[in-house]
Amino acid sequence: MSGDTLFPLQTTDVSAKVPVDHLDYDFIETCKDVKYLEKILRILRSGEEGIYPHLIKFCESHLEKLNPKSRALRKENPVATEASFSKDEWNQIVNDLMTWAEQTKETERLLKEGSGFNDLVKGEIPPVRSSSSFVPFSEKSFPKQRINPSKRILPRDYQEWDKFDVEGECEKIDGNMLKNDPPAILNTGNPNIKREVDASLLLQQEKLLLANREKDKGNEAFRANDYEEAVAYYTRSLSILATVSAYNNRAQAEIILEHWHEAMRDCQQVLELEPRNKKALLRRATVHNHMGNFQMASEDLRMVLQEEPNNPAAIQLLSKIEKKASDSLPEQQSKGKKLLIEEIEDDYYKEEQEEQRARPVQPSQPVGGERSSAAPVVRGDMGNAQKKPHSRGDGGPHTESSNSHHGHWRGKGGASDKYKVPEESKEKVANGSSKRASTASEQGDKSGSSKGTTGGGKAEEAVNLDAPCGALPPRLSRLKNEGNLLFKNGQFADALEKYSQAIQGYTDSGVDSPEDLCVLYSNRAACYLKDGNSQECIQDCTRALELQPFSLKPLLRRAMAYESLERYKKAYVDYKTVLQIDISVQAAHDSVNRITRLLIEQDGPEWRDNLPDIPLVPLSAQQHRREEPPSQEVLQARAEKATQEAERRAEIRFSAWKQEGNEFVKKGQYQEALGKYTECLKLKPKECAIYTNRALCYLKLERFPEAKQDCDTALELEPDNKKAFYRRALANKGLQDYLACSSDLQQVLQLDPNVQEAEKELEEVTVLLRQSLARSPDDKARKTVPITEVDDDEDRTDAPNTERSRAADNISVNLKASNAYEFGQSLNAARCSGNTAACAELLASTEPQMLPKYLSNQLDGNTVSFIMKALDSDLLEKNPNLVYRHLSHLHTTDRFSVVLLQLEKDERRIMTQLFEHLSAAESAEFTRDDVENLANKYV
Amino acid sequence: MSSPLSKPQIIAHIQKSLNYTVFDSKWIPCSAKFVCLGNFARGTGVIQIYEVQHGEAQLITEVEKPKPLKCGTFGASSLQQRHIATGDFDGNLHIWNLEAPDVPVYATKAHKEIVNSIDGVGGLGIGDGAPEIVTGSRDGTVKVWDPRQKDLPVANMEPVEGETRRDCWTVAFGHAFNDQDRCVCAGYDNGDVKLFDLRNMSLRWETNIKNGVCCVEFDRKDINMNKLVATSLEGKFHVFDMRTQHPTKGFASVSEKAHKSTVWQVRHLPQNRDIFMTAGGAGNLHLWKYEYPAQRSKKDSDGVDVGVAGSVNLLQNVTLSTQPIASLDWSPDKQGLCVCSGFDQSVRVLIVTKLNSA
Repeated sequence: MSGDTLFPLQTTDVSAKVPVDHLDYDFIETCKDVKYLEKILRILRSGEEGIYPHLIKFCESHLEKLNPKSRALRKENPVATEASFSKDEWNQIVNDLMTWAEQTKETERLLKEGSGFNDLVKGEIPPVRSSSSFVPFSEKSFPKQRINPSKRILPRDYQEWDKFDVEGECEKIDGNMLKNDPPAILNTGNPNIKREVDASLLLQQEKLLLANREKDKGNEAFRANDYEEAVAYYTRSLSILATVSAYNNRAQAEIILEHWHEAMRDCQQVLELEPRNKKALLRRATVHNHMGNFQMASEDLRMVLQEEPNNPAAIQLLSKIEKKASDSLPEQQSKGKKLLIEEIEDDYYKEEQEEQRARPVQPSQPVGGERSSAAPVVRGDMGNAQKKPHSRGDGGPHTESSNSHHGHWRGKGGASDKYKVPEESKEKVANGSSKRASTASEQGDKSGSSKGTTGGGKAEEAVNLDAPCGALPPRLSRLKNEGNLLFKNGQFADALEKYSQAIQGYTDSGVDSPEDLCVLYSNRAACYLKDGNSQECIQDCTRALELQPFSLKPLLRRAMAYESLERYKKAYVDYKTVLQIDISVQAAHDSVNRITRLLIEQDGPEWRDNLPDIPLVPLSAQQHRREEPPSQEVLQARAEKATQEAERRAEIRFSAWKQEGNEFVKKGQYQEALGKYTECLKLKPKECAIYTNRALCYLKLERFPEAKQDCDTALELEPDNKKAFYRRALANKGLQDYLACSSDLQQVLQLDPNVQEAEKELEEVTVLLRQSLARSPDDKARKTVPITEVDDDEDRTDAPNTERSRAADNISVNLKASNAYEFGQSLNAARCSGNTAACAELLASTEPQMLPKYLSNQLDGNTVSFIMKALDSDLLEKNPNLVYRHLSHLHTTDRFSVVLLQLEKDERRIMTQLFEHLSAAESAEFTRDDVENLANKYV
Repeated sequence: MSSPLSKPQIIAHIQKSLNYTVFDSKWIPCSAKFVCLGNFARGTGVIQIYEVQHGEAQLITEVEKPKPLKCGTFGASSLQQRHIATGDFDGNLHIWNLEAPDVPVYATKAHKEIVNSIDGVGGLGIGDGAPEIVTGSRDGTVKVWDPRQKDLPVANMEPVEGETRRDCWTVAFGHAFNDQDRCVCAGYDNGDVKLFDLRNMSLRWETNIKNGVCCVEFDRKDINMNKLVATSLEGKFHVFDMRTQHPTKGFASVSEKAHKSTVWQVRHLPQNRDIFMTAGGAGNLHLWKYEYPAQRSKKDSDGVDVGVAGSVNLLQNVTLSTQPIASLDWSPDKQGLCVCSGFDQSVRVLIVTKLNSA
């Protein structure tokens, strides 16, 4: 319609490029090129190839799909008339205008009446600008240049040359150069915006008008993210006329600027004017939250919810605050004061992001309450950090009260229940999944306890208790059922207590029924989750999962807890696991989607790389879930299931023991670990990893023959297990069978040439072998270097080079090295024992220029960081010069740059620390710049 | 395009045919009245005051003046007085008391030729500091006037002897956020846009947008200058982000081809500085919204701050007439109400709906 005249000049040009057969439904439909489509549309509209109204319409609609903002789609619209609106709308518009016209008439009348004393106002106006000033019109015509252009052209006379100051002239030129390139002028912030407006002489009508205008300016600045400026304008508005909305908006701007006290004052002002103003209450709650007064924050929020039970912002903030309040208690002691500042910064940053994220959603909303829904979503635990004086004591009643509140709004069935949905679906799954009496009784409660009396609930339980109930003694079952009932009633803290008692009773009674314990833990986790105590929830879930891996409820709860702590990666993994077990959990689907978006935002397109592994759910667990729905099962199936159950239980016990064994190894309690591993092997005699682990324990306990035997068994099961070889080598070494030892080590290296420990060991053993061959048997028995490996992973293919060796303390460190080998030995020994003093001494006795030679290609990340640590902690104070010299040679070592790349974050931190200290040290030998240059080579 | 009624709609509320050529129309602040300025066919000027009443515009006052009136502003007058300052074809600047419009309260021969454009600041509670009026004329000069000082401008921006004098088509005040700071922006027929800093009495910035500059306006006069829109003869307009001035690149800008012909006017919504309306030579109106970029400034390769322009979205467009619309004015009191006049010798009162949801 309008296209023909839009680009009249191009039409012929364009048509040459578009063949006629492109003016076709099929072609247009498949064409994705917006520019080309626009061309086609232009030709169609021009009618050069004939007029096809339907094709034009089709082309337009297709183009709109591809690019709704395409200019070719802009049409000339007629002016809207009464016909374009529904009757109601039209009436509203017209009436609106009428009332406005009448109101303004009244205002105008008042204005005129009051304009008697307008002469007074003139006194306030600034004076007339100083006379007639000439403003230079263009840059070429600055007056100075115009006034005496001739003088510049004149050559200097001779006398002038005598006085010529070269330096001065140069500086002038330099100065000119600089002047040509002034810095950018930034008009940001609020340079001298007057915060007070003298409105004493104005009429009421004028005041209202001006106050509104200033507020509008504030709103605009707010929308453009100039919060300082916004505050300035709101202040102006308030100085003219105090209005609720200006106070409210200023409070919001100040919250974003983190001026908590000012924001608080504004909220108070609003509440004085209007005691139940929701926005003000919400904002005051946000401020309280940030200042650490969770109690007061939740009081405010409850007020809001009383007024408007479904206010999503209030509900969200409330649940967050409750979570924080309970979280902060255990964390308080452990968190250092230092963290405080960091957290605030972090928090601020997040909030900024939050703001920006919120922006595109509702960019042009008036600043009123709508903004607040975005703003109170203030994340992070600043509250924790600030909340020092709170003690455990007053946390108790607080959680109590918030619990009851939870119950309150749950009861009301408000829109709060973001949490409720997953909860229910979980319940459903769980109920379906286990035929155990415990859940059955839960179900019973559900139907029976609607009256809510505890007594009634108990009666219900009593009936259910007699049902086949796992292996729990009646006392514990009762506790548990009471807990369930309390949970149903929303008394989470009480339920928590019951579950804790049940768990305690369980451990005391010595019943062997991990499923039941798992359920208890999982239920307690649910209580914690409800209380917002995500940390504890995670702990309980993890415990439950140790007992019964891949059980749905605890996984789901842990995922939710992780999510609420913003540990999205872990939450993601857990949700994914849940979905592997049961694909139908809608809550998990939703959360996965949500978290995926968050992670992509956080880590970019490579977010998947940073994820921890998602555990593979064994088929048994999956099938088990799938079998559930048919509630009637034949006896045979039941028997099968029973065996499955037994297997699973064995599996669980096995993994639990193994876990415990690993724990003991980590703690160095090898004897106990040995016991656990032996138990494990009773259950599963074919588990290679257990053999190797037990071998390690034997090695530690210097029971070399047994160690060797275990390694042999492991190797029978898995003929190329590196660890087994390596440990057998150590065992052989312990047995002083150096020949076997070295052959084992060679085997290890054959399997994986990168195992540095093996290499070192081999070197050492070769020497020992030579010695043992050369020397008489009565040669003084050399102490062996027992090597610990903590095998905390089930993964048997775990590369041994990640293992850490730690030398026993009784090994002596040779502190005077005269060759590379001795140096390496001593350094290794010192490093294994973590003895920085020894290392420092060793370094002190070593010539710095020899260092690279000694280290040769043996350098690795751990060594570097250890040397750094030693230099920093022990040598720097005594002899900074030596440290400097060492450092200036260390970086010339082979492979140094490669090693540098492998350094971990805290290892780098150690390094930077060292350089900081070094630069602070006084010395004649080096300057700060030297240190800096040197540091550049390292960092 | 999918949901037509969720967008702002432009309604022609009142249309009034006039018996003279109208050049400018302005709302009288704090009232439901507007002023029309123009010239009779016999070569004299006219001031008319209309009041919006029951869906009609009722003529209240009509005064004939010796010279055709080109432009007017209430910007330098107090809310109580509401005197209008006008510029005429002869280069005169007058201030009229609309209660008694027969004799001007202030009169001066401001320019040698027609006053093309006028703007005021310091009155109506807009902008701190002295009330000042700026006029731009075909004689190439831009002059700033203080109504308290007769005959002499308080600032004069004219090309030096020997430079070609360009026709100044438009002037606007801005940056008046405190007593001292104040800027005047002027647009010329050759596409020059010049920004004069009245505090330092210097030329702060200039650029050329290649085509004659029909209208310039700051999004708000009384704030730290934020945005400037300049419209041009060939249908484009430019939005400059005035917050960051790069030493060589100046201000960042975004341009949009809006109309098929000249964009005669741009006016920002007084209640929301990010929404503005442009009036075109083919009798059409376009309503735009400026969207800020995520970051309004960044560092260039030399580490100097350089502004980042946002984008403009078309909210609505309508065609009112076949003749150009030469003036447009939003009501400062009622959001969405505006008056416009065109060369078809008529004045229209428009209502724009749903500006809040835009």
